[in-house]
Amino acid sequence: MLRITDVHAGYGATPILFGVSLEVPSGEAVALLGRNGMGKTTLMKTAMGFLKPWRGAIEFDGHDLTRLTPHEIARLGIGLVPESRRIFPGLTVRENLELGLSAVANRSAALRRRRFEEVFHHFPRLSERLEQPGKTLSGGEQQMLAIARVMMAGARLILMDEPTQGLAPAFIRLIRDMVTELKRLGVAVLLVEQNARVALAVCDRGYIMEKGAIVFAASATELRESPVTREKLGV
Amino acid sequence: MAWRALAAFAALATLPALPGLPTYYLLLAFDALLFGAIAMSLDLLMGYTGLVSFGHAAFYGLGAYATAILLERGVLSVWACLGAALVVVGLYAAIVSYFATARRGIYFALLTLIFAEVVYTFFRYTQTFGGSDGIQGLPDALLWRGVAIDTPRRKYYLVLVYLAAAYAICRVVVTSHFGRVLVAIRENEDRARFLGYNVQRYKMAACMISALLTGTAGAIYPIRSAFATPDLMLWTESGEFIISVMIGGLGTLVGPILGGAFFTILRDKASSFVDWYFIVIGGVLVLIVLFMPAGLLGVRRLVGFRQWRHGA
Repeated sequence: MLRITDVHAGYGATPILFGVSLEVPSGEAVALLGRNGMGKTTLMKTAMGFLKPWRGAIEFDGHDLTRLTPHEIARLGIGLVPESRRIFPGLTVRENLELGLSAVANRSAALRRRRFEEVFHHFPRLSERLEQPGKTLSGGEQQMLAIARVMMAGARLILMDEPTQGLAPAFIRLIRDMVTELKRLGVAVLLVEQNARVALAVCDRGYIMEKGAIVFAASATELRESPVTREKLGV
Repeated sequence: MAWRALAAFAALATLPALPGLPTYYLLLAFDALLFGAIAMSLDLLMGYTGLVSFGHAAFYGLGAYATAILLERGVLSVWACLGAALVVVGLYAAIVSYFATARRGIYFALLTLIFAEVVYTFFRYTQTFGGSDGIQGLPDALLWRGVAIDTPRRKYYLVLVYLAAAYAICRVVVTSHFGRVLVAIRENEDRARFLGYNVQRYKMAACMISALLTGTAGAIYPIRSAFATPDLMLWTESGEFIISVMIGGLGTLVGPILGGAFFTILRDKASSFVDWYFIVIGGVLVLIVLFMPAGLLGVRRLVGFRQWRHGA
């Protein structure tokens, strides 16, 4: 589904990614692990089109993403849940959700109703807070909203950047369950995490990134057992 | 909301009926409302989309010249003047907004300023259009055959109708889904991008609406003043529009109308007492910024204002 091949990228003249290759198959959850400053977020930005790779290929369902702009990539069905819950703080919960839906082509009243129902089914808490401005939500609720927003858009692949960062344990469990649920719905997830334990509990495969390169790739089971995981991530 | 707006416009409509109101004040009211309407149009960009245009004087001035050139050549219909202004300003605004919205932040402000200065220089040095004197001594425009807009009262009603229409358009824009996307862009344009919005196209559309409304105001101005000069396009004029928006309150529409009116009246009053009136205006502005940083109308209602200020 998403295939990243030998991608080099950076800011200005500073290289950050040194030939990263990674694959997210349809309907699977893949973890991208690594400590701070290893290039995980840069890889997300590159996949989403905010950063043009210097070399390498990024493909999604046969589309060459390196030639597309972020809004075109979003319309192909890739949803981004960015680091530290980037919702629109001044807009209400309902408006945030509407914004997620309305970028989609051919939306209908029926689709709108169905998507809202789906979101309320998974996040009943949001339905109680529809008219509240986004900034009045708790951190965990904002994270729900960020995920719900890409669900409204009907994303087939969701990129989540550190979704559990700074959240209470109850919300971390909720995010974990959510990833499992998304997989069940056939949505692929690329989960960028520092919290390897949470990520490996729900993902099928994992990659460990270090200094802008993938240093280890294996199934989640293997990664859980491997001494490399402990060495690289300290868990 | 709607009934309050209607009440306000009804009150303004009775203004000429005030017994003993000097013509001078009716014309000052004209200027105040026109300036307020321009500030409101600029608020669509500044308050809602988060774009600060330093070139609105060019839209204003081009609209004024469109009317002046037609009136000078004997085309007296208001509708022809407004139509010509919309076409000219629309073409110019399409070019400016295309290039300006390709860039973010300060570059948007600079590009709008540079384009406006080019237009200013063109009219300042083109003798066909009167050079630095502009076009003076224009005849009265006609609403339709035989009905000239020749009294201060008729001129006042013209600007009032324009303000009401412009307000209705702006209100519809900001309450529509389109308006929500503009606010989303102001709050964070990358977030709007990764949700699938073509941000530049939305910004361009906002610029066009704002420019056309400002150009229409420009087209109305010579109908009252009987002249158009290149000074209307000077960057200081753009600066005064921006100041009016800030005085009134960003992102409120009504605030900038008040701000523009307040600024016009303050300038008029100060300049009739002293020559150095800009110092007076400056002093008042400093006080407003210090003690009413949210503007006359306050900005508590403005969605995400704090975020916008701190996160910009």
